[in-house]
Amino acid sequence: MTFRLLQNFKGGRALVITRRAGWESTLETTLAKLGVACDYPDIVDGRAQIDVAMLSPERDILFVDGDLDGAVAIEVEPVSKLPPVPVIGLVGVEAPSRLKALVNLGATSFLRKPVYGGAVYSALFMGINQFLLRSDMHARLQDLEERRRGRRAVLRAIILVMRAQGLDEDTAYSQLRRESMRARQSLETYCEDFLSRWAKPPDTSDRTSGITLQGGNKQAM
Amino acid sequence: MARQQFRIGVMFSTTGPYSVVARSMLNGALLAFREVNQAQDVLSLEPVVVNPSGDLAQYRALSLDLLTSGIRQVVGCYTSSSRKEVIPCFEKFDGLLWYPSHYEGFESSDNVIYTGASPNQHVLPLVDYLATHVGTRAFCVGSNYIWAWENNRIFRETLTARGGTVVAERYLSVGDTEFDQVIATILDQRPDFVFNNLIGTSAYAFFRGFRAACRARGIDQASQIPVASCTLSEPELGEIGADAVDGHLSSSVYFSSLDTAENAAFMRAYGEAFPDGPVASADAEASYIAVRLLAAALQQAATDDARAVRSAVANQRLAAPQGEVRIDPQTYHAWLTPRIGRSHANGQFELLLEARQPVAPDPYLVQSSPRFATAMRPPLLRMVKA
Repeated sequence: MTFRLLQNFKGGRALVITRRAGWESTLETTLAKLGVACDYPDIVDGRAQIDVAMLSPERDILFVDGDLDGAVAIEVEPVSKLPPVPVIGLVGVEAPSRLKALVNLGATSFLRKPVYGGAVYSALFMGINQFLLRSDMHARLQDLEERRRGRRAVLRAIILVMRAQGLDEDTAYSQLRRESMRARQSLETYCEDFLSRWAKPPDTSDRTSGITLQGGNKQAM
Repeated sequence: MARQQFRIGVMFSTTGPYSVVARSMLNGALLAFREVNQAQDVLSLEPVVVNPSGDLAQYRALSLDLLTSGIRQVVGCYTSSSRKEVIPCFEKFDGLLWYPSHYEGFESSDNVIYTGASPNQHVLPLVDYLATHVGTRAFCVGSNYIWAWENNRIFRETLTARGGTVVAERYLSVGDTEFDQVIATILDQRPDFVFNNLIGTSAYAFFRGFRAACRARGIDQASQIPVASCTLSEPELGEIGADAVDGHLSSSVYFSSLDTAENAAFMRAYGEAFPDGPVASADAEASYIAVRLLAAALQQAATDDARAVRSAVANQRLAAPQGEVRIDPQTYHAWLTPRIGRSHANGQFELLLEARQPVAPDPYLVQSSPRFATAMRPPLLRMVKA
C-alpha cells in the first residue's frame, strides 16, 4: 500500500456537528467552492444523529464542534486511534480538555471558530491527508506485526532444511526465499505452509491402489 | 440626480522588473475610468494611483494608506506574491481588491474579485495543445515564487497524467537574467518544448539568450524547441526584441489581434489614449474589465461598501474585448475564453485555437484535476556519467 495525497475533494460530504449560529455559513460556502457539500445532522438530547455504519471514508468528513460536550459517539480503532472517517475539530474554547476530547475522537486537523474562509482548504487538506497517512501507517504496522509473528516459522523452516538437506544456514535461507518468491508468498507465510506440510506427511493410503473408472476397466494415471 | 463619486485605488508597479506589463495594466484601468466617467451620468470615479515599484513591503504599506484614507475598492497587483501580501490588509479593513491578472489558483478570498484567468483557463488548455501538437517532454523554467511553483506543479501533474514527462525544473529570482547554465542544460536535455513561467525582465533575457544559443548550434528554436508560456503578452514581445520575438506559444484569454467589434473599439481607444505604449496586453484587458465591472457594481449597489459591491458584481455581464465576461457568484472569479496564440515578428499573436464560448472558472481545479496527486518519487538510478 502506498500513501497518495488527496488534493481534489470534489464529491465529498461534510457532516458538521454544531449548533447552528451563523458562523458556519463561511465554512459551508468555502467548502462548496472545494466541491464539498455540507450536512448538519440533528442534535437530539445532546447527541448528533449520525448513522456511523453509513459513513464512508471515501466521501465523508466529520467537522466536530469541540464546544459540544460528547455530541459525537464514534468508536476509534483501538491501536491506530483512527475514527471511521476523517475528523476535523472546530475549536471555540481553546481549553486542553476540549482539545483532548477532539484528539480522542481522532481529529487530524483543527479550525478555529468563527471559521475564516482562508483557513478551510488547509484544514481540509491536512485533516483528510493525515487521516489517509495514518491509515496507511496503521496498515503497514499490521503487516509488519504479522511478519514479526511469522519469523519463528522462518527460523524453524531454516533449521529443518539445514537438517534435511545438509545445507548451511545461508543456503537454506536462500532456498526458502527463492521458493517463497516462486510461490508468490511472503517468506513468513511460505515457511508456515512449509512447516505444516512437513508436520503432516501426505496421506497416500488411498492412492496405493488403482481407481476403477465407472463403465470400464481403465485405471487412472 | 447628483452624480455619485467614489475614489478608487489603482496599484501597479509601473517601475521595477515587471513594469512593462504593469504599465499596460494601468493603461487598461485608466481607459476604463475615462469611459465610465464620460458615459455615466450617475457615477464619477476618481482613480488614486500608487506605485509599489515591485517591492512587497511597499504593496502592504500602500494598501494600508489607501484603505485608511477611506478607499474601499482597489484595482491592482500583477504578481501572486504581491496579492498574497496585501490580502490581509483588505480583509482587516473590509476592502475589495480587484485582481486583474492570470494566476495559479487555489485561493478565493472574500475580499478579492479575480478578473484574470484561473489555471483551468490558461495552463490546462496549454498542456492539451502541447501534448497534441508539440510533444510530451517538457523542460520547465520559472521565476522563484509561488506563481511558477504552483503553475509548474499543475502543468507537471497534468502532463504526467497524459503520459508526458518533465525532464527538469529550474527557478531563478525575479529580475535575474543569468541564463547561460539553464540554457546549456536545456540544450543538453533536448526537450520537445520549454514551459516558461519567468516574468518580466528575466523572461525577456531568457527568450533572447535561448534563441541566440540555439542559433549558434544550428537549431531552429521556434520549430524544434518552442517556448510556451501562460504569461507572454504583446508589450513583452516588444521587450524581447526583433531578433527573438517570433514563434513563441502563449495561452491567454485575450490577444490584441482578436477580430471582434468590441476589441476593435478597445484597441482604437487604447491606441488613442496611450500612443506611447506599452501596447495592450491580456492583463491590460483584465484591468479594463475590472474597472468596468466595478463601475457597474457600484452603480447597482449605490455604495462602495465591499459586501454590497461584491454581491452586486455577481449579476454583471460585460461585452469585453475578448467576448462576454461575467463573474461566477460562487468563486468570484471570471468566466473567460481560453485561447492559444503564436507570436509573429510583427509583435502580434496569431490565433491558433480558441474555446467556443466562455469557460467557467475552476480556481481549485475541482472539475478538472485527478482526485489524487501524481506520486512523485525520486528515480532509483541517477546518471553519474554521461
